[in-house]
Parts: sequence; C-alpha cells; structure tokens
Amino acid sequence: MEKLTPDDAFELGNLFRDAAIALGDWRIKNRASLSQSQWAELDDREIKLLNAASGIYTNAIGLVLTESQTSLARLQSSVKNAKSAVRRIAIFKQVLDLASALILFAGAVTSGNVAGIPAAVVALEDAAAAIVESSDPES
Amino acid sequence: MIITRHISAASSGSRLIFAALLLAASLSGCASFKEVRTFASLSANAATYDALTRDYIGALDRRKQYQPQKFHGDLETMKMRREAQRASLDLLQQTVTNYMQGLGSLASGDIRTFDRSLDNLSSSLSDATLLDRSEKEAVGALSTLLARTTTTLYRQHEMKQLIRDGNQPLQDVIAATRKIVKRGIVADLQTESALAGRYYDNFMLAPDNPVEPVAMALAKEARVEALARVDNRIRGAQRYDTVLDEIAAGHQYLYDHRDRIGQDDFGRQFKPAVDELRAAYRSLLDVSR
Repeated sequence: MEKLTPDDAFELGNLFRDAAIALGDWRIKNRASLSQSQWAELDDREIKLLNAASGIYTNAIGLVLTESQTSLARLQSSVKNAKSAVRRIAIFKQVLDLASALILFAGAVTSGNVAGIPAAVVALEDAAAAIVESSDPES
Repeated sequence: MIITRHISAASSGSRLIFAALLLAASLSGCASFKEVRTFASLSANAATYDALTRDYIGALDRRKQYQPQKFHGDLETMKMRREAQRASLDLLQQTVTNYMQGLGSLASGDIRTFDRSLDNLSSSLSDATLLDRSEKEAVGALSTLLARTTTTLYRQHEMKQLIRDGNQPLQDVIAATRKIVKRGIVADLQTESALAGRYYDNFMLAPDNPVEPVAMALAKEARVEALARVDNRIRGAQRYDTVLDEIAAGHQYLYDHRDRIGQDDFGRQFKPAVDELRAAYRSLLDVSR
C-alpha cells in the first residue's frame, strides 16, 4: 500500500472538516424535527469530526516537516557557509593590513631614501604579528 | 646623483598615482549592494512570525471552551503532538531568517573596520617623514583602494556563491512552510471557526431552549467577537504566506540575475521586488499588532 502524502492528508482533513460543517448546517436547518437527544447526538458527532480533522492536519504537518529535512539541512549548510564567509572577511582584513604595510615598505624602498625604511618595517612587523597572534589557538 | 634620485622618486610616485587612478576607475563600476542588504534585512525580520506556531499549539486550549469536558483529553493529546512539532516549525522559520542574516552581512560588510585600519595607515604614513608628499598620497590612495576594491569584490563573489547554492534549498524550505501555513494551519483555523460558530448556534438554537432575548443578544455578540478573533488569525497566517511568497520571489530574482549583482542598474531593477516584500510585511504587521 502506498504511503499517504502530505497533500493526501490535507485533503482528507478538509473532507472531515467539510463533512462536519455540512452536518451542522443540516442539524440547524432541521432543528424543528429533532429531539433534544438527537440534537446532542449529532452535536457530538460534529465535534468528533472537527477534532479528527484537526488531528489529520497535525499529522499532515508532521509529514511536511519530515519531507523538508533534506532541504532544511542544505539551507543550514548555506547559512554556515555565509557565516564562514563573513568570518573570513575579518581575517582578510589582516591580510589587507599586511598588504598595506608591504605597499608602505615598497613606497619607502622605491623612494630611494633608506631612512624611510625603518618605519615601514615596523608597520610590516606589526601587521604580521597581528596575524600570527590571531591565528595562534593558544592566544 | 641627487637629481637622478629625485627624478626616480618623482617617477615612482607618478606610477603609484597612476596605478591608484586605474584602481579607482575599476572600483567605480562596483558596487552598491544596498537593495540586496535591504531585501535581506526585511526578509530576516519578516520570515519569523512567532504568532504562527503559538496560535497553532494554543488552538487546542482555546477549543476547550467550545467542547464538553469529555473531549478535553483528546485535545490535550493533540496538543502534546503539536508541542513535539514546535521546534521543527520554529526551525523552518529561523533557518530562513539565519540565511537572510548571512546574506545581509555579506551585503553590508563592515567597511568601517577597514576604514579604521586605513586611518592607522594614514597616521603611519604621516610618521614616515622621509617619504615626500606625493609618494605618501599615492601609497595612501593605493592602500585605500586596494582594501575597498578587494573587499567589495570578495563580498560580491561570496554573495553570488551563497545565492547560487542557497536558492534551491531556500525555495524548498519556503515551499514547505507555505504548505504548512496554507493547507495545515489556515485549514485548522477554519475548523476552529466552525467549532466556535456551532457552540454559539447551539446556545441560541437548541430545541427546547427557553427564549431569553437578552441572553440571545449577548450570545450573538459573543459569536461575532469569537469568529472575528479566528478570522484575524486566519488573516495573519494568509499574510504571512504572502510574505513568504515575496521572499521566495525576491530570492529567485537574485538567483536569476546573480551575475549582475553590484552593477549600477541592478539595484533599480531589483527595487520593485523589495518594495513588494516591504508592502507584504507591513500588511502582516497591521494584522499582527
């Protein structure tokens, strides 16, 4: 026997709900010919049908949740990648600092003025030290 | 010798400035992610509609007032089954929110951090007293442009990749949530509406009921109010469904045009999708307040 799909289950829930509503309409329309006990008996049936419809909707929602597990896992993996990309930007900044320090160094060297080099070397060392410090798991 | 050195320094300074100008020109083609950022931020806020799960589970307690005591045990059992689904239902919504926050972070980037770092560079450039003015300007301009260009391009690349990989699972998750909302929760609320209606109908129309005009008037009023409360919940769920539809459509647009993200006219073309999402979200807020 084939398994019930969520769509089948939702449809089934609608059938129960609509049957209960139709029963209620009939009961009210024919109330003059119904005794108190017949009225109460039908009322009970309607409640049972409506509760059964709710129970079927609950099951159908459970089926959709189960079916969506794979997509959910894939989307969560994308979320993880996005977070990792954002984290990489923070690390990337340090690489950029290093690149900037290198440019400063290159600028000092290409200026041909040897006295300008120490300041550039300090900047370069600072940038490199920052990277080493942040990538050190002990720090 | 001194003249030669000056010429060489001036020439290297010019080259740096020229390189900076080239970078500036390439940067001018990039990249405003404003509309992507706005879309992601709106989606992140709108995707989580707490009232949905709360109402779905709370429905069973609300229904007790419309049913005799003998049915309350069944309602409690069903409530426990729904409680067991709570985490999964919340996770569906939360995952869409998390995804959009990730997209928003990439679209916004923390440029200020880079600018602070570049301020430090400016200050070290000032300290480098032996570089002449044009060289300092060239080095500063290059560093600024290098930082901004590379981060912009990096963000653009990561965003495209995220949108490419995330689109299908996002569409699937949203489709599953919409199915739960439309076919499950709205249909279940319609059941609640039928239960509330028949409760007051019974009160007013049951055979052998004594005719009490004041009690009838009060019952009529209570019936209208009870049905209006359920209708409001149904409207909230339907508007949330519209919000999800707009999020899915907006993201599909991003996916279909991902290679154009960051281009000058992209933001203008994407804006209608953002506006539609904003209108749908406002409409949801109107009903959920």
